[in-house]
Order: sequence, then C-alpha cells, then structure tokens
Amino acid sequence: MKQLQSLFSGLAMVAAAAAMAASGPLAAAATGPVVTTPQVRAELVAHAPEGVLPGKPLWLGLKIEHQRDWHTYWKNPGDSGLPTKLNFTLPEGLQAGPVQWPTPSRLPTGPLMNYGYADTLLLPVAVTVPQGFKAEALDVKLQAEWLVCKDVCIPESGEFSLHLPAQAATAAHGALFASAQAAVPQAAQGAQATAAVQEGALVVQVTGLPATWQGQTLQFFPETTGVIHNAAVPQASWQGNTWSARVPLDPQRTDSPSAMPVVLTTKGQAAGLVVQLAVTTPWPALAAPGAAGIEATAQLPASLPEANPAPANPLSLGLALLAALAGGALLNLMPCVFPVLSLKVLGFSHHAHDRRALLLGGLAYTAGVVLSFVALAALLLGLRAGGEQLGWGFQLQSPAVVAVLAGLFTLIGLNLAGVFELGSVLPSSVAAARVRHPMVDALLTGVLAVAVASPCTAPFMGASLGLAVTLPPVQALSVFAALGLGMALPYLAASSWPALARLLPRPGVWMAHFKTVMAFPMFATVVWLVWVLGQQTGIDGAAALLALLVALAFAAWALGSPTLGPRARGGFGAAALVLMAVALMWAVPTLRHEAVAQVPGAEASWQPWSGERVAQARAEGRPVFVDFTAAWCVTCQFNKRSTLASAEVMADFKARNVLLLRADWTKRDAAISAELARMGRSGVPVYALYAPAGAGPTLLSEILSPAEVHSALAALPGH
Amino acid sequence: MKIALVTAALLLASGSGWATATVGQRAPAFTALDTSGKNVSLADFKGKHVVLEWVNPGCPYVQKHYDSQNMQGTQAEATAKGVVWLAVNSTAADHGDYKPPAALAQWMQGQKAKATATLMDADGKLGRAYGARSTPHMYIVNPAGTLVYAGAIDSKPTSNPADIASATNHVKVALGEALAGKPVSVPSTRAYGCSVKYSAM
Repeated sequence: MKQLQSLFSGLAMVAAAAAMAASGPLAAAATGPVVTTPQVRAELVAHAPEGVLPGKPLWLGLKIEHQRDWHTYWKNPGDSGLPTKLNFTLPEGLQAGPVQWPTPSRLPTGPLMNYGYADTLLLPVAVTVPQGFKAEALDVKLQAEWLVCKDVCIPESGEFSLHLPAQAATAAHGALFASAQAAVPQAAQGAQATAAVQEGALVVQVTGLPATWQGQTLQFFPETTGVIHNAAVPQASWQGNTWSARVPLDPQRTDSPSAMPVVLTTKGQAAGLVVQLAVTTPWPALAAPGAAGIEATAQLPASLPEANPAPANPLSLGLALLAALAGGALLNLMPCVFPVLSLKVLGFSHHAHDRRALLLGGLAYTAGVVLSFVALAALLLGLRAGGEQLGWGFQLQSPAVVAVLAGLFTLIGLNLAGVFELGSVLPSSVAAARVRHPMVDALLTGVLAVAVASPCTAPFMGASLGLAVTLPPVQALSVFAALGLGMALPYLAASSWPALARLLPRPGVWMAHFKTVMAFPMFATVVWLVWVLGQQTGIDGAAALLALLVALAFAAWALGSPTLGPRARGGFGAAALVLMAVALMWAVPTLRHEAVAQVPGAEASWQPWSGERVAQARAEGRPVFVDFTAAWCVTCQFNKRSTLASAEVMADFKARNVLLLRADWTKRDAAISAELARMGRSGVPVYALYAPAGAGPTLLSEILSPAEVHSALAALPGH
Repeated sequence: MKIALVTAALLLASGSGWATATVGQRAPAFTALDTSGKNVSLADFKGKHVVLEWVNPGCPYVQKHYDSQNMQGTQAEATAKGVVWLAVNSTAADHGDYKPPAALAQWMQGQKAKATATLMDADGKLGRAYGARSTPHMYIVNPAGTLVYAGAIDSKPTSNPADIASATNHVKVALGEALAGKPVSVPSTRAYGCSVKYSAM
C-alpha cells in the first residue's frame, strides 16, 4: 500500500492527466526540461559550447538526481531492475548516438545484486549536427522511462522539452558533462581477455591491464545480461600482469555469447575499462529436456540453434539437397576417393554378363555409402547437441583417426601392389563369406569409400553441410543422405545399365598392371595423411606414424605374402607381431601428444585469426580477409598454394591495405567453429572478406580464383 | 545416493543458499503453507505440470499483469488443462508490501485469480531455492519434476499494460509445448519487474 500512496502523491505533484493516460500508467509530462517525482528530479540538459552548428560538439543528456537511497539502473541492470530508456525526437537530419553509460556501482538488495546509480547521474548522448543545418534554434523532445527502486520499485516516465539557440553557446552544464564523460568506461588498449566455461563458472583471464591495477581487487560488470551469477563475488587473483577470475554462472542463464564486453574497475577509479571477453569453449546447452519420455533425438532441434548462434543460411532445404547430390557426385573425382572407386569399377568387368548380380552389387554399394554418411552425420549432430563445437571433417581433427586412415591406405596400397593377399591373412571362413556374399562385400566397399572420402570437401558441399547442421535432425540427415546418394550415383548408374558397363575394357593382363598402378595414388594419400598428422602432433608424431606403417607393412607381407611357405610365414609372422607391438607401444603415446602450438606456414603477411582482430581492424577502417583453413583440407591447401600465393592477388590485398588473417582449424578450435556457424558453414574452406563498415562478410567460393578475389576487392566501398 | 543428496543439501544450506534451481534439472522440492494454513508440497503434484508464479500485490509490474487480466487469463488457460498453478509471495513480514495470509487470499480473490493455491514464503526459503528475483517471476515444472522454464511472463519488459497485447507470453508458449510433449523452445528468459522483497538472511 505504501507504494501506491507514494505513487499517488507523486502523480499529484506532476501535471496533465491526459498525457498520463497517453504514455502509460506512471507518466509525468512537463512543458519544460524538468520532471520531478517523489523519488527523482530529472532534467533534460544540453552542452553546446560553440552553439548548435554543423561540425561543432553537441551533447544532450538526462540528469537524474535520486532521493536518498533510491537508484536507477545501468544498461545491464543485474538480477532485477530495468535500464533507463531515452527516446529523443530531433529535427530531421540530427542523429542522437547511443547512451554513454557511466561506470555503474554494485547495488545489493537482499540476496540479489543489481548494477546502477545513486545520487546524481548524467546519461549523455552525442548528437551529430548535419552539414547544412541552418535553423536558428533547436527544439529537443525527450521521452524517457526509468525504473527507480529503494525497498520498493516504481516505474516512471517523463516527457521533456528543451529549446537551444543555434548561434549562442549552451554551456551551463559543462562541468556535469565533463565529469560524466570522465566516468564512461574506455576500451582497455592492448588488453587480451579470454573466458572458458568450466563447471558452472566462467574462468576469465585478462592481460594488458594498467600496471597500477596489479594486485588490486577488481569489480566485474558484464554488459551482457543473464550470463553470470551477479551476486557472487568472483574468486580472483593476479599472476604477474595476468588477472584471473572464476566467475560463477547464473544457473538460469539466458544467453550464450561468444564475445562478452565486460567493464572492469578498481577502487578510486572514476571510469572502468572495457575488455572484450572471447569465450573460447562451447556453452552447455540452455535447452531443457522436454516432457518425460522424449527420446534424445527429439531434443536435437532445441539444442542445435544453441550451438549455432544466429545461423545465416542462404539455401533452402530443396536447394541444399540438390547441392549435396551434386557435391557427392564430384567427390568421386577427388584424389582420396578415385583409387577406391576405380578398384570397384574393375569389378564390372567380372560381372558384366550377370545383370542381376551387377544391379544388386550397385544397390548394396549405394546402401553402404548412404548409411555410412548418415551414421557419421548422426555422430556429428549428436556430439554437437552434446555441446561439442565440431563441423564436417571433424573426424580428421583427431590424430588417432588420421593414423588409422594412414594404416588403412597403406594396407590397400600394399594389397594393390601385390605385396600380400587378403586370402592369406583373413581366416578362411571370412574369405569364404566374402565370396559367398558379394553384396556384403559391396556394402563394405561403400563404407570404405566414405571413410576415405569424408575429408574431401567438394565444391557445393560447404553451404549445404553448413545448413544441414542447423536443421532439425531428420532434415539434416536427409542432406547427408543426399550427399551419399550423389557419391554412389555414377556407380549405381553403371550397374543399372549394363550397356554402360559393357563400354568398359575387357578383362586382361592390363588389369594386373592397372591394379599395381593404382597402389601409387594410395601411397600418395598416405604421404598427405602423414603430413596432416605432422601438423597436429609435430615431427615426432609423424615419425612415430611412419614407424608404425613400416611395422604394419612388414606384418602384412609376413602374414599375407603368397610367396612365403607356412614355416617362413610362422617365423616372420611371430617377428612381425612382436615388431607391431613394440611400434605401437612407442608410437601411441607420441600420437596422443597434442601438438605444440605451431602456426603452419606463418608467412609474414598472414596473421592468426581472432574475432577481436577482425573487429579492431574494421574499426580502424581496414578491410579484412580471413582464410578459414585446415591442413587436412585438400581444397584449402590447393587454394593456399595457388590463388592465395599468387603475387597478383597479394599485390591486390596490399593495395587496399587488407588485413590478412588465417583461421587454422587443423585441430579443434571452438572459437573458429562458432565463427563458421555464424556464417552458416560447418566446414572449411571458407573465404570471408569484411568491408570496414557493413554487417556480415562477403563469402567467396570454395574453389578460389584470382579473378574472384579481384572483383570482390573491387566491390569494397570507398575504392 | 541418499548420502550424496544429504551432502548436497548441506552444502547448499551452508553456501550462499541462492539460486539453486537450474533449467533442465530437477526442480527443488518444497513444502510451504498456503494462505489457508494448509501444507502444500511440490511432491503432491507428481505427474502434473506445475507453474510457480512469484507475486507481490504491491508491485506495479504485478499490477500490470493483474489489472489487465493477463495473469488471470494465463492461470485460467493453464488450470483448465489440468496444470497446477501455485502463486508464491516471498515478501518479508517486515516489508511495507507484506500482506498477511488472509489479506493476500482476499486480494487474490478480489482479482479473480485462478491459482490452485497461494503460498506464503515470508522467510524467502522457497524464493531463494528457485532463485526468484522479480515479481512476477515464472517457473514451470514438468510431470517428471524437471524445471523446464524459468523467467519472465512475457517478452516486453515494461510497466505499460498496452504492451501486453503485442508481447509473446512465454509461459503460455512453454506450457503449450510442454503439454504437447515437445521440448520448450525458449527455456529461460530474464524475468522483469520489482525485486523480490526478501527478508534479511
């Protein structure tokens, strides 16, 4: 009741009942610049020391004088409370900037913590006076809303007006504006700030703060609402010039920002410093499980958007399916797939006479390819739903998977070269099963083809896979299924129309030669995989893998060579197994070892990517070009060595003062995954060109040509 | 398991004792007296959806949603579908906004509120367990006892009743999804209103 009484007495003191009805329940209208309520005296003030003229400084502001113990709120009001809102009405052409919020104070109320202001506050706003402004006076109107609280809270609002002569100086509040300006937090120059989500807290590290701050207690004001537990006091410490803090998260968190501006301040400072916290780990999903009894898959749609803040997708589902189909078909020409496929095509010559067997084999192969893609995609989506920041090609970010693939390719190569035969290695029952069940064999070939194809991102695939991971699971899986179908399509077509198969050359001695020749692309692929592993784990890891491959090759020969007698096989086989065991024991710990951070090919002109660098350069008016790449991405490496290495392109970049950044996704990197998701992609390569002003980047195509880079640069504004 | 629970409870009691309810996890159990002096437990409503609404008749934001009939409409729609609606008042007894049980019951009746029960929480235990910050602050517990929504009544954090018509009523949407067996699309939002007038600890 107390609240209502104070409210009514407040209303009695201010004017015009009609205006109150128009602008809400607690509006106070004034014909002048001052509105007084029992809690505050609010005044619209201006500072135009050289008059209201083009190019001269003009500041407007709302001055709020709080009664004792009353307060209003900062832009992040904390647990309860609402920020003060200012809506200016200015003559056409005049633009009011954002409110320059002074550094707030912590306002505890019971177990709650709010951020705001007491005593006298000025919320200043800079106004740009356009060229050609010639009016004799400026009439400013302001409609403001504020929530004022003590032990009770009262939403209030007011209408203000102010008349400023254009030719005369308005400077009566100069000191007030100066002190408000001095209290506005400034960007911390040179500070680096990161945060990782760990067990219900943000673990924050900030370097580059002023030396005088070292050892002091800092206050932490996030500009983002609904992320941290405001009332908790962060556990903080200084190590040299690094400030570390563990800031508990709000159990009812409502936001998952990848970058969080935070105001830090220390005792005796009028103004805090703003640091941009880059959140380097994925956020756990906000989404609650639905009603009891819903399967895990049903939760995917709710949690996927969480992993992808604001995905921007230019494709519809239908287009994505078509693009996936085309991309899948092109996969067959990629160097990692071609040998496996050519092997399989050889099989047509054997079966050309048996139409039914051919068709069944084709269908089984298709099923193998499609099912493997769907299974891999389901794994990817499942892991993403679990909060992992992954994208397509993620399997190659694990050194163990790369090592296993290298072993697999070595074995296929050796087999093609005739070093060993499967029949001698496999237990006879398995070998017999393969012969008896050609369809199972075809299905497994399909699985193998996907295993080797997954790292090859063909053109058209980037956008559709980017869309796929943001879709509900059923649709996402259908995109991946379309990709598999596209990949199997040429083979399926050849097996359905025997006329096509009959065009193939007849079997003969040449087939043995062809088989041997195909061993060499396989070994070339192994070279590539060893290089990828070298990027991930360093030269020791690459050497360990090579040693393992030698042991594997020896074992394959000893156990599978058709030229060895049973006794020799027994002896060599035992030695080979011992050798394998020793090699494994030596290699596995090395392979597990995560690589020491090394920037592959860190040429002077390219710098490592970070979101802040992009923002910083754009703020300085520089365009930015980002190469999202990975060592295991063949297309990326091709572009890097062709287009991005061409002198002409580099000169173009230099002429426009473009900052070149490289985002290396060879190993898992949550910040890069998040950035890719923001652009609607889930894999590399992505080439992004940012103009200094404007919203998002321009994305260039995955097969990058110098002409395309040139025309994209030419399209930058201001040139 | 039991020992773990007891330990957890002790830790919570000895810690800040604040904001333990987390969306997606088990809603904190409670027993509180309603305005008629009867004991009401969350456990009584196992198998049903339960809405918790933090209320304080002295708060202008609560008045916004009651004077406009928005809260009563949401209550009526929910309870008609078998949802249990518990209004909770965590205002401390020494605060000017405090209403004794009979006065609160009378106010709710005068508002034609459709809440299943109105709970007294003058010591703020229930409010602290749920991390209630504002009046109104809304929570939805599903039949399995999991907290599936925490936050605001709607999407427009203003005191102007005219904004209700164009705002999204988060509670109606979340309840609709939960009742249909779907996951809640917006499981947590920032509640807005007056701060809960907690008693000193």
